[in-house]
Amino acid sequence: MPGVIGAFHELDAAVHAIEELKQKRLGEVTVYTPTPRHELEHAIGAGPSPVRRFTLIGGFCGATFGYWIATWISDYWPLVVGGKAIASWVPYTIFGFEMMVLIGGLSTVVGLFINSRVPRLTMTVGYDPRFSHGDYGVWVECTPADAVTAESVLRESGAVEVRSER
Amino acid sequence: MATLARPLPEEKGKRVMRPNIATADVQLPAVRDYEQVDREIIGTLHPTVAWFMGLGVAIFFLLIGIAAWCYQIYSGVGVAGYNPPVMWGVYIITFVFWIGIGHAGTLISAILYLFRAGFRTTIYRCAEAMTVFAVMTAGLFPILHLGRPWKFFYLIPYPNWRYIWPQFKSPLIWDVFAILTYLTISSTFLYVGLVPDIAVLRDRETNPVRKRMLSVLSLGWRNSDREWRHFARAYLFLAALSTPLVLSVHSVVSFDFAMALTPGWHTTIFPPYFVAGAIFSGLGMVFTIIIPLRRFFGLKHYVTINHLDAAAKLALFTSLIVGCAYMSEWFVAWFSGSEFEKAFFANRIWGQWWWASAILYTCNMVLPLSLFSQRLRRNPTWLFMLSLTINIGMWFERFVIVVPSLSHEFEPWQWTSYRPTWVDYSILAGSFGWFSMWFMLFIKQLPVIAISEVKEIIPPKLRRRHEHGIDASGHHLEFEPSTPGEYD
Repeated sequence: MPGVIGAFHELDAAVHAIEELKQKRLGEVTVYTPTPRHELEHAIGAGPSPVRRFTLIGGFCGATFGYWIATWISDYWPLVVGGKAIASWVPYTIFGFEMMVLIGGLSTVVGLFINSRVPRLTMTVGYDPRFSHGDYGVWVECTPADAVTAESVLRESGAVEVRSER
Repeated sequence: MATLARPLPEEKGKRVMRPNIATADVQLPAVRDYEQVDREIIGTLHPTVAWFMGLGVAIFFLLIGIAAWCYQIYSGVGVAGYNPPVMWGVYIITFVFWIGIGHAGTLISAILYLFRAGFRTTIYRCAEAMTVFAVMTAGLFPILHLGRPWKFFYLIPYPNWRYIWPQFKSPLIWDVFAILTYLTISSTFLYVGLVPDIAVLRDRETNPVRKRMLSVLSLGWRNSDREWRHFARAYLFLAALSTPLVLSVHSVVSFDFAMALTPGWHTTIFPPYFVAGAIFSGLGMVFTIIIPLRRFFGLKHYVTINHLDAAAKLALFTSLIVGCAYMSEWFVAWFSGSEFEKAFFANRIWGQWWWASAILYTCNMVLPLSLFSQRLRRNPTWLFMLSLTINIGMWFERFVIVVPSLSHEFEPWQWTSYRPTWVDYSILAGSFGWFSMWFMLFIKQLPVIAISEVKEIIPPKLRRRHEHGIDASGHHLEFEPSTPGEYD
């Protein structure tokens, strides 16, 4: 998808540009920032991250698996001690807990990868190494017809460099 | 990533423009802008002669340990000084010691993150790497302790032709699960936090081969708002999962002892006692690592005296908990009315191991009380020396738990002594070499301070310039260049 990228030195200038672009409804706006900032998050107005669902489902599956593996193995290969239960849920809580943390943690990372769309094999169009150091990048996906308007919004907001990319 | 996890309240119809640090107790006035952060932290990655020498020393000690282990495999575990009934010695002591070291890293990186303790920002990366390498070191010791170490995989439940499965009611199997989970989650937590910083290194790298490697490691991270949003949430959940994990792992390790009927071991105080001791020992190791690092890497304006002061308060607090646990042990032995317990504790203090107990109580209970003095808390030289005594004291704590109990059980005819051999000492030295080698390699390959998190507390560039300082509620203060402790 073609679009326009603007590089900003200042945070408030980038925030202003995002608000202007969203107001004009030119296209989807993406911002590149060296560190997360509430100001940018508010300007973008994205919803809550669904990563938490991955954590919940992973943790639940992990806990179930932990209890199950300990109980199943105790039943399959019983070590009988007089007066003691063959499968005892109290010590098996350790396995349930550890597997909940393990699978829940790994599912969280999977959720991060899926939602963030990483690993990424090629660099995104418009990305510039400056955006990991100190500058803010505002990328707006738009048709060539809207590119002129987008460029002027970015320039007026204080972009130090504006260019169209495809 | 303190930022996105707790958004600022939005005022109606008005956007609040203010730096988004979660707590007010961290200020880095000597760090002016993002460019300086990149330059100074990435600048620490260039290898120096002193670093090569340090790495050489670490590898030398590691080779000593490997040689001793080879000799032990050839000759049998008997060369390590084990005689019934003292069948646990330096290896298990050192195993518990290294597991404990790891705990402070998780405390600093995960628990203090959830508590929004700002002083963790500049020290957590080192502490987190320390955790991973310490757990890697600890995990070797149960294997070293096996007569046939190549059979260690019997502990893992997997379908096999023998139809034999592990005993799930054994604390040793609990250990396997707990430690493998801890190692996996700690490594994941470290790596996830590193990804944005590796992207910074990638973007500044000029060597094409290295740039390619960093590109792969950074997973194509490009700092988009989408990535940061999910990253912040994932990081928060990983911290939330690591917090109970750190409490559980050392509790499980303490069950290795507490589940036995041996006097001095069979006590319900062990899980909290072990956890507090682990965090205390880990904080000692954090000081041992971070104080020389901030000096040799020229990072005193990142890891400031105020940060050390705050961490020292935490060390003092955990020392008091540990001291309380020691006294509770004596009380419980007396109050229990058990002759065996009373005799054992009398032997621990006045018997053959009195010197080990004396080292333990002096290093862990008495000397840390000096941290009530603000002047000493803000003295890096004192903190460094104290951290060495804490490391020694905490190793001896485990010695006092393991050896006196086994050498002085119920039957007097079984009472014996224990003397570590050169094999024990060599493998102990080798463990320090192994840990140091990984840490030395880490500090020259990846940033020791989290670049993106430091940038969060640096005021961003704004069109309308105004100097920053933040009060407790997040409001601007007049810039104060002479904040005590920030330049020391």
